[in-house]
Amino acid sequence: MTIDHHMLVGFAKSFGLFYLLAMAAVALIYACWPANRNRFDKAARDIIDDEDRPWH
Amino acid sequence: MSERQRGLIVLAVLAFIGLAMAVAGAGRGDPLQAHGYIVLLFSIGIGCVLLKGYFAPEPPATRLDSYYDDPSKVGIVLAMGWAVFGMFVGDWVAWLLAFPDLTFDAAWSSFGRLRPAHTTGVIFGFGGNALIATSFHVMQRTARARMPDQFSPWFVLIGYNLFCLLAVSGYFLGITQSKEYAEPEWYADIWLVIVWVTYLLLYLRTLARRKEPHIYVANWYYLAFILVVAILHVVNNLAVPASFAGAKSYSAFAGVQDAMTQWWYGHNAVAFFLTAGFLGMLYYYLPKRAERPIYSYRMSIIGFWGITFFYMWAGSHHLHYTALPQWVQTLGMTFSVMLIVPSWIAAANALLTLNGAWHKVRDDATLRFMMMAAIFYGLSTFEGSFMAIRSVNSLSHYTDWTIGHVHAGAMGWVALITFGSIYALVPWLWKRERMYSPALVEVHFWLALAGTLVYVFAMWNSGIIQGLMWRTYSDSGTLTYSFLDSMVAMHPYYVARAVGGLLFLIGAVVGCYNIWMTIRRPSGAEATADTPLPATMQPAE
Amino acid sequence: MFGTHYRIERKSVILAVAIMIVASIGGLIEIAPLFTIDDTVETDPDMRVYTPLELAGRNIYIREGCYACHSQMIRTLQDEVERYGPYSLAVESKYDHPMLWGSKRTGPDLARIGGKYSDQWHTAHLTNPRDVVPQSIMPRYGWLGRAQLHTAHLGDDLRAMRAVGVPYTDAMIANAAADAVAQASPDDDTAGLVERYGEETQVRTFDGDRRTVSEMDALVAYLQILGKLSKAAEQPAKAVAAAATAPAAAEGGQARP
Repeated sequence: MTIDHHMLVGFAKSFGLFYLLAMAAVALIYACWPANRNRFDKAARDIIDDEDRPWH
Repeated sequence: MSERQRGLIVLAVLAFIGLAMAVAGAGRGDPLQAHGYIVLLFSIGIGCVLLKGYFAPEPPATRLDSYYDDPSKVGIVLAMGWAVFGMFVGDWVAWLLAFPDLTFDAAWSSFGRLRPAHTTGVIFGFGGNALIATSFHVMQRTARARMPDQFSPWFVLIGYNLFCLLAVSGYFLGITQSKEYAEPEWYADIWLVIVWVTYLLLYLRTLARRKEPHIYVANWYYLAFILVVAILHVVNNLAVPASFAGAKSYSAFAGVQDAMTQWWYGHNAVAFFLTAGFLGMLYYYLPKRAERPIYSYRMSIIGFWGITFFYMWAGSHHLHYTALPQWVQTLGMTFSVMLIVPSWIAAANALLTLNGAWHKVRDDATLRFMMMAAIFYGLSTFEGSFMAIRSVNSLSHYTDWTIGHVHAGAMGWVALITFGSIYALVPWLWKRERMYSPALVEVHFWLALAGTLVYVFAMWNSGIIQGLMWRTYSDSGTLTYSFLDSMVAMHPYYVARAVGGLLFLIGAVVGCYNIWMTIRRPSGAEATADTPLPATMQPAE
Repeated sequence: MFGTHYRIERKSVILAVAIMIVASIGGLIEIAPLFTIDDTVETDPDMRVYTPLELAGRNIYIREGCYACHSQMIRTLQDEVERYGPYSLAVESKYDHPMLWGSKRTGPDLARIGGKYSDQWHTAHLTNPRDVVPQSIMPRYGWLGRAQLHTAHLGDDLRAMRAVGVPYTDAMIANAAADAVAQASPDDDTAGLVERYGEETQVRTFDGDRRTVSEMDALVAYLQILGKLSKAAEQPAKAVAAAATAPAAAEGGQARP
């Protein structure tokens, strides 16, 4: 069991860093992907408009 | 089956459960009995309201051409009611710490039972209702779609308030499992799971109907709030009841594991209940009110994933220097410090959105509520990361500094963004040109700001003095101050804190009056339901 | 109503799943190893369990929200060790479902309060703290002395505790109610209680009233056992030596001139 615990702790101590880097990379790539630019701009603009009824 | 019939059936089942609880509790002389009666009466009460409109004609099909806002309206009224209740109890316990006999000689009114009524009242009663009400509003607008049915939102809103009622009445009766911010007992917890799953499904079903291909970022935050709170709630509340006929249960975890689980919950309740959901509010109501798109949509996405990821690791900073293994403490500290990045991204994004519209901030107290919330969000997240550092924490932990930090977040960030959003939302929902009195919004703003500052400065002072007194040594190498000395030294700060809380409470009462008058007073320019609202609605003008 | 007739919309479901994955990893990684921790931390085979009366007292402590103002966790800091006693070990709260480490010290830490004051002091202090400590801001708990303790169903409580891992025996569960009464009735037959819970079980009329077993009896019995269930931290020489060498303690003692 001791090995199990050490293994778990070792995993916990190291894995976070790799996971963090991978996660940050994916999020940054998604957010900065050039093709997404127009979609984001439109999304930010669209909520401002004053239409207050569902679309059909 | 019509929605009305569905509602009656659910209420009948609930009433039956209430009766069963009452009978079972009575058999053991258990306080569960009182909760049974509360559930029973609650179901009958709601049932009466439902029956009153039961034989009314079905609403016309044209209702499908508009958003379904009635639950949001009721949710806002409930949120303000809970705000006044929770803040009143909070200020009462604040006075009790300065003058301990300022209460009745009765169990229900002792400090230990009132305090969770305050925290639950403001976090879950005020905050939770505000989140539910605004999320219903935001998800429909940003999806450009009406909610899929009319039953689920009412089930969520009313069911959630039943949970809050059971929680708060439970403390007065002596029912609590002592887990901070998760005090309600096992049956209330199970009920909340049912309500919460319905809430999640309602959200996803509304998103599934959306006409806009992209899901607006505010919904991400609301969705993270709903999803993660569900995970936290289920894991943290795992327990074995002593009996199904009694209220008492025993946590599945003990000691170290329980401490870590509870603070994993506790800290992430702050993250996903008191931050993610309210950032959802910020990312919709702030650009909408300022009539400017969010400064950087990309930043809002990066910040979102940062917050979702980092917070989960940070809970162990509540357990520095305890029996928790040191590597867990270090991990918690590291991630808490890194948390400053996504937090400041959000705060900066909000303030940069306002850059160039400062004249609006100057003239419009509603927008100023939101701006001040963003500032306090930035301040308290910085403070939080700072306090998570082990050596700082050795001083701050167990002291009033923590209380000050929590209230900088709760009053300065959560409550201010909520009041701002509600002041923006009320005229839209009730089709009024503006709030009943923009001057009273202004009064509320200054009361809230003054109250927060007085409170936070008092607690900073008392916390740091306390922490220093506890660790001061005399020349002969003995501790200089007894614990009692440190407690006596707190008295003036406790009085100041109670005064700050009182200002904040008065502000909330002023807000209630203003909202109530806005709802009651038929606006001269009352728009018919099918008229689009003018974009230029601004109460301060 | 939960909508199989709504198409499962891909984007929102992907978003929801992504949130779950990103959010759940951190907690999992920090909490999971704690469940194998028994292999690495100190153990105490002689650790005692709460008697039914002490457990009832603990439940009153929980019910009255005492944990909101009193911690039960002495940190590895020099000033705390000097003020409250040896720092708390993980093993000491291993039967605490839930733990009551607390997060705030409006009042002092109680992890080692057991035995520091007399029963009479506790009873007087709980009835009106300002009779004993004039500057105290603690609430009065006078009604605890007037409320009779419900002992009838304590067996259920022990059974639930056993279900979550506390080693209560069948005999302890069967005799829970009688043992609770016996512990506060030194004139009665307490042999069974002592046999089940050990020689060190404190049998006294905690609130000074021999006629009934009140909630005050239970709460005082609990307070008097705090820090005494395990002797793991009680070897002063060893504990203080450890505190002095722990880097944490050195760091915390920095205010010392």
